[in-house]
Amino acid sequence: MPDYVPTNAASSGVKLDKKTLKSIAARSDRPGLIYIAQWIAFLAATGTLVWASLGSIWMWPAMLLHGIFLTVPAYSFSHETAHGTAFRTRWLNETVLWVTSLLYMEEPLHRRYTHTNHHTHTWWVGKDSQMPFDTPMGFGGWLAEITGFALLRFHMQVFVHLAVGHYTDTMKMVTPEGEFAKMTRNARIMLAIYALIAAAPFLGIWWPVWLIVIPRVLGAPVMLLFTLIQHVELQENSPSILESTRSFRSNWLAEFLYMKMNNHVEHHLYPQVPFHALPKLAEAVQEQLPEPDPGFFKTNLEVMSVVLRRSLGRQTKAATIRQAPHMITDGGPVERVAQRTM
Amino acid sequence: MSQWIDACATDDIDEEDLISWQHEGKSYAIYNTEKGFFASDLMCTHEEQSLEDGLVIDCVIECPLHGGRFDICTGKALSAPVHQDLKTYPVKVEGGRVFVEIG
Repeated sequence: MPDYVPTNAASSGVKLDKKTLKSIAARSDRPGLIYIAQWIAFLAATGTLVWASLGSIWMWPAMLLHGIFLTVPAYSFSHETAHGTAFRTRWLNETVLWVTSLLYMEEPLHRRYTHTNHHTHTWWVGKDSQMPFDTPMGFGGWLAEITGFALLRFHMQVFVHLAVGHYTDTMKMVTPEGEFAKMTRNARIMLAIYALIAAAPFLGIWWPVWLIVIPRVLGAPVMLLFTLIQHVELQENSPSILESTRSFRSNWLAEFLYMKMNNHVEHHLYPQVPFHALPKLAEAVQEQLPEPDPGFFKTNLEVMSVVLRRSLGRQTKAATIRQAPHMITDGGPVERVAQRTM
Repeated sequence: MSQWIDACATDDIDEEDLISWQHEGKSYAIYNTEKGFFASDLMCTHEEQSLEDGLVIDCVIECPLHGGRFDICTGKALSAPVHQDLKTYPVKVEGGRVFVEIG
């Protein structure tokens, strides 16, 4: 057996009989293809709004809306395909991983292997390569996280490292041998595409600016509000996913944008379950899990309130979301537990 | 000296699934796929994780820990993080029983 305990259902004491799990985890192309069709339809509609409003003040809310529909599903689909669970057909999965990672702006295999490591060592300080902020979080950390610039800087550094063939210790730790050449090739191709997009306005071509670049920047904070609440305020260094990870209630729109990853505890317990089957999985294990936190907006407002109070030296007990015991204080200085790894 | 060992009944394994089977202190995986029955070592060659809870997709077994994939028919490692092939064993079906040739 491995010389570590992977963080999953077994390490969390959650049980599900094999037959039920296998029926829930069954792979299919259909839900992923339907998702692509819906996503393209939404993008066509919001893109039309952007195009129709160019030159007026309405172009900005239109680009925000388009950016949300461009950026959040790109993140979600890149995540799902990194797991290899979006489609039954492997080449389809890998193609969508490449394209959506291009939009998400992370080299696809770096995405896959750092994320595999994140699942194996979820929220373990010094082991989890996807801890995007210091914990406990303060207001400065919150701002750095949700603007998207910290993540963008990290991903650009990764692109440059990979493109020049310089592999960091973290990359070497999480990446299987034999994958680096592919990662370098991917990074060079993707950087060339980004360079073409950046050069387009100088050639008089502006549509990528209105339909991709600015919407991508405007949509990033919404994407990061989704990812922020996956683990923030929860327990570091716990073998139990129930202590380190948060699920939250959701409506159909958030479930669509986030590909049902509001069931995040369930996803970490059984990462082999595809996105479309997560509600079924949640139902099967609900007796063994804590109640999900409130919806996207309420959970994020609570988090913002807590981190602001922490930075002001005030008490940090949240009213409605789950928190690890050490996150709740009466105020005063805060001792850092985890330093960001990305 | 190799010998054919009676491992299980054909209906002990659901379609597109596998079971674990122990023989003389060693663990094996026996698969029921669209191409027939197959047998291999039970442990993934990457991190010594049992494949028993892995998914069978067509003729591929996917490790439940890191998603490494092997061709069930040949044992060939198909995608990272697995690089080392899985050892496979000849299988025959007679009278509703699955026999594995252990060498």
